[in-house]
Amino acid sequence: MSPVPSLLLIEDDDAIRTALELSLTRQGHRVATAASGEDGLKMLREQRPDLIVLDVMLPGIDGFEVCRRIRRTDQLPIILLTARSDDIDVVVGLESGADDYVVKPVQGRVLDARIRAVLRRGERESNDSAVFGNLVIDRAAMTVTKNGQDLQLTPTELRLLLELSRRPGQALSRQQLLRLVWEHDYLGDSRLVDACVQRLRAKVEDVPSSPTLIRTVRGVGYRLDPPQ
Amino acid sequence: MTSPHVSEQHAEQHADRRTGRPADQQTDQQTDQRTDQQEGARGWAARGALSRLRFTSLRLRLVVVFALVALTAAVSASGIAYWLNREAVLTRAQDAVLRDFQQEMQNRAGALPVHPTQDELQRTAGQMASGSQHFSVLLVATDPGGRTAYGTSGGLNGFSLKDVPKPLRAAVNRQQKVTSANKSPYHLYWQRVVDHGTPYLVAGTRVIGGGPTGYMVKSLEPEAKDLNSLAWSLGIATGLALIGSALLAQAAASTVLKPVQRLGVAARRLGEGKLDTRLRVSGTDELADLSRTFNNAAEALEKRVAEMAARDEASRRFVADMSHELRTPLTAITAVTEVLEEELEMEGGGIDPMIEPAVRLVISETRRLNDLVENLMEVTRFDAGTARLVLDDVDIADQITACIDARAWLDAVELDAERGIHARLDPRRLDVILANLIGNALKHGGSPVRVSVREADDEIVIRVRDHGPGIPEDVLPHVFDRFYKASASRPRSEGSGLGLSIALENAHIHGGEITAANSPEGGAVFTLRLPRDASALTGRPAEEDKDGKQASGTGGEPAASSPSPSAAPQPQPPSPSQEQGGGQDPTREEA
Repeated sequence: MSPVPSLLLIEDDDAIRTALELSLTRQGHRVATAASGEDGLKMLREQRPDLIVLDVMLPGIDGFEVCRRIRRTDQLPIILLTARSDDIDVVVGLESGADDYVVKPVQGRVLDARIRAVLRRGERESNDSAVFGNLVIDRAAMTVTKNGQDLQLTPTELRLLLELSRRPGQALSRQQLLRLVWEHDYLGDSRLVDACVQRLRAKVEDVPSSPTLIRTVRGVGYRLDPPQ
Repeated sequence: MTSPHVSEQHAEQHADRRTGRPADQQTDQQTDQRTDQQEGARGWAARGALSRLRFTSLRLRLVVVFALVALTAAVSASGIAYWLNREAVLTRAQDAVLRDFQQEMQNRAGALPVHPTQDELQRTAGQMASGSQHFSVLLVATDPGGRTAYGTSGGLNGFSLKDVPKPLRAAVNRQQKVTSANKSPYHLYWQRVVDHGTPYLVAGTRVIGGGPTGYMVKSLEPEAKDLNSLAWSLGIATGLALIGSALLAQAAASTVLKPVQRLGVAARRLGEGKLDTRLRVSGTDELADLSRTFNNAAEALEKRVAEMAARDEASRRFVADMSHELRTPLTAITAVTEVLEEELEMEGGGIDPMIEPAVRLVISETRRLNDLVENLMEVTRFDAGTARLVLDDVDIADQITACIDARAWLDAVELDAERGIHARLDPRRLDVILANLIGNALKHGGSPVRVSVREADDEIVIRVRDHGPGIPEDVLPHVFDRFYKASASRPRSEGSGLGLSIALENAHIHGGEITAANSPEGGAVFTLRLPRDASALTGRPAEEDKDGKQASGTGGEPAASSPSPSAAPQPQPPSPSQEQGGGQDPTREEA
């Protein structure tokens, strides 16, 4: 992680792009901007930013598609900027692999806080490792291996797995997870947790549709179980 | 023929007419009554429960009318047939008897001397009665001694002069003037009498030129028996006609009532809002006409409603699009405004003190605009019915504490709630409701605002009470109206005017309710009632997570609520780490 995080802002509206660039730069970020999804993908390859702030409504390929394409190769954090706060947008965005979302008109401070929270997820903290069946979580190297194979996890997915693995067998509510992983306040959107759990399950579980590691606790939230 | 006969027949005809009249009147009354009840039936149509009764009674009326018509027709037809037959049969029988009797009188009684003896009379009577007609004969004459002598034939239990009705005797013995029209002084008279249920024909005449008076009696029992059996068969025929007419009426009622019933069902469906309801039109009768009229009406109605819905939809769409469109420039403005704000807050910042008020105004008004657009979007979501619940298990007391904490209201709000009261609802929407109710109470009532939470059956009751002047009675019904301002003197800077309306909508989407009232101790009280578990309203199972089975399904679901049903006093920067002290007042009057 570079001391000054570099961001890529993909936004087609000139005014918003300029304003957000101004605001984020003042918050101390290095900001590169792109006006379309295609440009953004190109700049992603050239500049390797630490995080992407992505508008949903883009000319050409839309934000969801950009998000999906990025996820095919990269696990860097993505924050969606949605103007249409239709529910479906949020769900589709989270499905396509976004780590968090912000609804327009967004305040620079909120966006900055989200960016910092997402970036913190990749930071190391302890030096132990944990084993859950064929899953090995190495907290020192910040890697997860399954059957000896490295798993490609986004920082958010990794953080979620780490928070769950720190309390094995203990159920964590969605609100707790939102605070621990997303650093959201008491009104965090629990669908962020659900979507992330789904993505994580798809990567770590043998059969994602009948999970044995990350279990749902009805009426409470989620729990990481060591397999019997 | 003779006069008694004529008068008798006349009387019969008269009686026949009399019986005919009341029957007609009855039918008239029946029809009148029916139209009355049909008029009334329109009133009944609204009452669905009575409709069956109505149908049955209409059926009943039809049957009764048919039966009455059939009865009248059958009774009058068979009555006429009976009387004609009866006259024909009786006349033929009695003509034959009377002719015979007359013959016998001429041949035998006429041959007697003027003053025959008892024996002669007796013998002649016997001879007269021995004819083929089997009548009994009584001859009355004056015997040579000047006494009245009687001669009777046997049979009929002693036919005597007592058996002859007095008027008949008088008629027989009355001597009439001989004129050109009346050739003889005496005539043959007859009369029918009934004795112990058996009809008899009694006749009498006098031999012209002096001689015995002869009377005869003849039982009409065979004829009566024939007529009786005729009456029976006519009665049976009438009965059959009645039954047939009842069946016919039933069938007719069914053919009429079935379409009527169908029409009723269709009308009810139409009333329930199923505007595509149509009737199958068959035939060309009045009912088909009615069905066609119904179809046309339904079609017109459907078109009208569709037009209105389209217009309504268009205007809502416009508001929704408008607020969406406003967001893009607002996003840019908001971001830049923050830069300006930071510049202001910096010690010895680069902003000219002269234009500082202008910058502050821009900042505060931008926030207002943000709130307004946010609320507008929320309202359009409710109007369009796209607002959804994102349910979670919530500790009510924690939620309220968080809500007032985030907005820095802790000092101004007294919370009376026990922890551990859980409910399954949308925490963001609850927050919106609470923030609006408490914010409103603080604004209009002033602190302290008292918030109490109680459990009631399967409901959570949250009361927000302020210590202000209360709500004027004339304002009370309008507090939840959009853009309704309690006081015209302060139309601005009191929030968007949508806050309480949005709070109410948010309560409704949970299946809850908010009521406003004035407390007897002073101050306004808003009571929020929410069901303990709102999951029944979302149409999906209480647990939104089904162990990964939704993995691919979520995207397609019209799921969930807006990401931020913020709408209202939102602690704008809910940023976790940065903005700790910044739980803002919703009105943002600081600046």
